Amino acid sequence: MPTFTEIAKATKQKREIKLVGVDMYIITDKGIPKFDDIGPFKCEFISNRGTKVWPGFVSPDLLQVNWYRCRFMATKDVQDADINTFLDALTKKGWWWSAAQKLWNYDGEAGFSKAY
Amino acid sequence: MSTQHVVTMLPGEGTGPEICEAVRLVIDASGVNIKWDYEDIGLDCLEKYGTLLPDKTIQNIAKNRVALKGPTTTPIGTGHKSANVTLRKVFDLYANVRPAKLIPVLKRPWDKIDIINFRENTEDSYAAIEHMVSDEVAQCLKVITWPGSYRIADFAFKWAKANGRKKIYCVHKANIMKMTDGLFLDAFKEVAKKYPDIESGDIIVDNCCMQLVRNPAQFDCLVLPNLYGDILTDLCAGLVGGLGFAPGANVGDGCAIFEAVHGSAPKYAGMKKVNPSAVLVSGIMMLRWLKEEAAAARIEKAMFAVLDERKHVTYDVGGTAKTDEYAQAIVDKMHANA
Repeated sequence: MPTFTEIAKATKQKREIKLVGVDMYIITDKGIPKFDDIGPFKCEFISNRGTKVWPGFVSPDLLQVNWYRCRFMATKDVQDADINTFLDALTKKGWWWSAAQKLWNYDGEAGFSKAY
Repeated sequence: MSTQHVVTMLPGEGTGPEICEAVRLVIDASGVNIKWDYEDIGLDCLEKYGTLLPDKTIQNIAKNRVALKGPTTTPIGTGHKSANVTLRKVFDLYANVRPAKLIPVLKRPWDKIDIINFRENTEDSYAAIEHMVSDEVAQCLKVITWPGSYRIADFAFKWAKANGRKKIYCVHKANIMKMTDGLFLDAFKEVAKKYPDIESGDIIVDNCCMQLVRNPAQFDCLVLPNLYGDILTDLCAGLVGGLGFAPGANVGDGCAIFEAVHGSAPKYAGMKKVNPSAVLVSGIMMLRWLKEEAAAARIEKAMFAVLDERKHVTYDVGGTAKTDEYAQAIVDKMHANA
């Protein structure tokens, strides 16, 4: 008789996973970061506390802290090694970052949320 | 002639337009001078603009700095961003003020409930930072910041002091989430030092829920992070009679949006059946925010009188009146009281 845990684990389905970008968590006291394209990665949006601050309208009232989520999407097929190169380049440009989160599509669907 | 206020009216969808027309009828009859600026929001905008919240609406609110909003619905699982959450984030409406006060006509098992909830409205797990970090693990970041926590506590204490409230408690789960809820609690304690005349304390969220249903009269003001606030404010609304009378204000530094917290009840759309009281009480909160206390008090007195008489009340409180008939009864009562 299988346990509930064994039954649950057996339900896992094979999904096609594709690397499509990376969320970078940048720490800066100099306001909203600006980025040129870095290799095959292009900055799509920047959010602060979950609110999009670039591109588009930003309320002058908006509280921003010194921690920005910067979403970089790949402009061509990329591999994990491209992320390593990207991180090196970003660091060499002087950006201080707290974390990087790879963005994957699962069976063609985004496995990551948009910003408000 | 009194000062004219320009207010963005967001009727929403479903029963929203008929509710907002009833509320406008009452507010306009109160003596206050308001120019209403109508804008679109909600599901009806999807076909027209491809979004629940058009840029034109955002620009209008940015100009007027105050809005009264009818109910809207967020489609589940379609990828469309909630108009409500977007409004709060775009305008940084960090204070969700949700009063829960017993209304005499609604018979409840308690003698007294008069709680003001101050829900932080922009952070926590509502920061919309979610990832599938492997093919079998989803992760949501709970974002709590010092300035975000400090300002909601400061807002609550300042509001409490201005309104003669005596006691504020911080609701948290800092015994388990020591970094995030711990930071929220630390900021609250720091702010409390500035207000020595107001009693302050803290309570763990699960205990707070139990205490609320056992003895709600013990609470005065509560300050909560976003997610606990979402849940406990509805719990408090349930204690005093449900969402039909529950007002809400979303307030930032210089901009405020007042709204009912109930849904748009699309199955009743066009039937003029639903109770507009939640939007009306939100409108009363708006009038007080606009410093129109006399008009707010006139509406409040007339509304309670109409509810007490039970002659012209909607079906949910045992009557047969239509939405607009209830509103007209309040207008008539205001004229009779004048």
